[in-house]
Amino acid sequence: MKVTPVNHAKAAEEFIKDTSHERFHDKRLWDLRQKRDEQMHALPEWQELRSLASQIKEHTLTHLPDYLEQFEANATKNGIHVHWAVDAAEHNRIVGEILKKHGVRSLIKSKSMVTEECEMAPYLAQHGVCVIETDLGERIQQLDKQMPSHIVVPAVHKLASDVAKLFAKHYNTDPDDDDPHSLAWAQRLAARPVILSADAGMTGVNFAVAETGSFVVCTNEGNADLSATVPKLHIATLGIERLVPRMADLGVFIRLLSRSALGSPITQYTTHFRAPQKGSEMHVVLVDNGRSHRLGMKDFWTSLKCIRCGACMNTCPVYRRSGGLSYGAVYSGPIGAIIDPTFNERKYSTLPFASTMNGSCTHVCPVKINIHEQLYQWRRVLAEHHELPFVKREMMRMAGKLLGQPKLYRAALRGAETALSVVPRVLLYNAMNPWGKNRELPPPVSQTFYAWYQENRIKKG
Amino acid sequence: MSSREKILARLHNNRPDPDQYPLPSIPPLGERTATRQKFEENLKALGGQVLEQQTWETLEQAIKRYFPHEKVICSAVPEFCGTIRVDELTSPQQADKVDVLVVRSPFGIAETGSIFLSEEELHSLNSVAHLTQHIVVLLSENDLVANMHVAYEQRAEFHHARYGVLMSGPSATADIQGVLIRGAQGVRTLSIWWE
Repeated sequence: MKVTPVNHAKAAEEFIKDTSHERFHDKRLWDLRQKRDEQMHALPEWQELRSLASQIKEHTLTHLPDYLEQFEANATKNGIHVHWAVDAAEHNRIVGEILKKHGVRSLIKSKSMVTEECEMAPYLAQHGVCVIETDLGERIQQLDKQMPSHIVVPAVHKLASDVAKLFAKHYNTDPDDDDPHSLAWAQRLAARPVILSADAGMTGVNFAVAETGSFVVCTNEGNADLSATVPKLHIATLGIERLVPRMADLGVFIRLLSRSALGSPITQYTTHFRAPQKGSEMHVVLVDNGRSHRLGMKDFWTSLKCIRCGACMNTCPVYRRSGGLSYGAVYSGPIGAIIDPTFNERKYSTLPFASTMNGSCTHVCPVKINIHEQLYQWRRVLAEHHELPFVKREMMRMAGKLLGQPKLYRAALRGAETALSVVPRVLLYNAMNPWGKNRELPPPVSQTFYAWYQENRIKKG
Repeated sequence: MSSREKILARLHNNRPDPDQYPLPSIPPLGERTATRQKFEENLKALGGQVLEQQTWETLEQAIKRYFPHEKVICSAVPEFCGTIRVDELTSPQQADKVDVLVVRSPFGIAETGSIFLSEEELHSLNSVAHLTQHIVVLLSENDLVANMHVAYEQRAEFHHARYGVLMSGPSATADIQGVLIRGAQGVRTLSIWWE
């Protein structure tokens, strides 16, 4: 089957056209970034925490077989059923079989990126299981038949008026009442009976502790705890990279996670599951789905350190202005752009180019993933694998020629300097020049650095 | 070859040299003294409140004063009756009727204003902590730990509890246009009663 690369630029263009959405999106995410900064400045040990988090994750990943076995042994001892899934299909089959065995018709679930990655909900629907998202943002996206656009705030690209229209259609609420308080209340009222009558509950996992065989779920709405404690069957699903060795490691990660994500010191709920509730059953599905392969990629394996805080998305100027859906992938933003090509190199070949290379993602990452360097490295890999579109390839070839010959480069630059100061605006801000879209070009400088150096240093020296 | 063996074998073959990546020990970090003032400050920042005791006021009277319109007051502590005992609730469906749950927490964390609850305090009906509309948590100042590191190092509950939740203020969401709403799907308010 022929795979077409995601047209991120075109999708982003669509998003930008709607000024009110684009402005709010940009402002909201930058606000999260600033709240994160406030939390960071309040902790003198912030950088030490980041280093520790990075080291613990690197250690865990390079010792993952041992820790997975240790986790499995301890979890089993605690009465948890542990399953292993090589890929998405096996994950869905395992979950489907557990549900079938219990005669489950309705499954309530909290946010889990792995289930999105595995496209579990449509699979279960085919097998007669109704999956209801209980997280407000996820539920909004589910009702609107869209992927989450952000890993922490899934409906951040929507305005309250969009949600009001959506809820009116599904919950019979007033389409003109776009007060977020009444909308959130409507969700609470709609979700409660569904939660109380559900046959099974499902959650994701933020951290799994090898030493105790327990796992931790961090949420704010209370929906994950409801999903896990109300029904008699709880299935938790996680990527195998979620492990940490010791309970004490959680101190480092819990302190970093919500501060990096939302700028709050901790999520409202930090829940530790070690064994099933009395009279209930608990299952854990360990999902590989390409992770063991990624661990062998010399330049990219550290992307597995990711704790899914979304800080890199909140800070990224491209993400903030293009919206998560424009990435056409489960994982969007800078972290998505380095993870997605490992799933499908051709389909996601455009994503590593959705970056200005400002390095901000790397600076805010709580586990010190060198995201912008990996973006650059992916561009190299994609160029080598001939996954560059024709125009980009030709431009690179010409730029390569120009930059490779200093005299030619200087001549071209002089030409450009003159041109920038004399050409009419219409030539700079037209459809052919993407850098002229939605932004003003900087004023041309009167002298290049090279010319200045020639005049001031070489002559004087 | 089972999926388990397949995954473990791939990880063994693909992983970078494990000897290059030792496990760091975690030094004592952050604020190491626990104070009631810090706890309250952070509790309030996350939307929680403290039931301020008036002179000679009992817990029962305070609950009446703070929740005058709530009917089903469920107690999970021996010294307070409420209108129903938690042991009388036999299912989550029954727990859904609770307006105010009164429960004792074994410890709180000053850094985040969090309180801990497990099946021990909830009498194995864990869902009641999330189905109730409001929760009142009895806590002693002597049971405060300074920060998350100390909590994970010192509190045995993390190793023994089957279900252990750190609640930091009431449930909350900001999923609609970034507006922060306290009282999402779990408890709408969380209050501390010092004892």
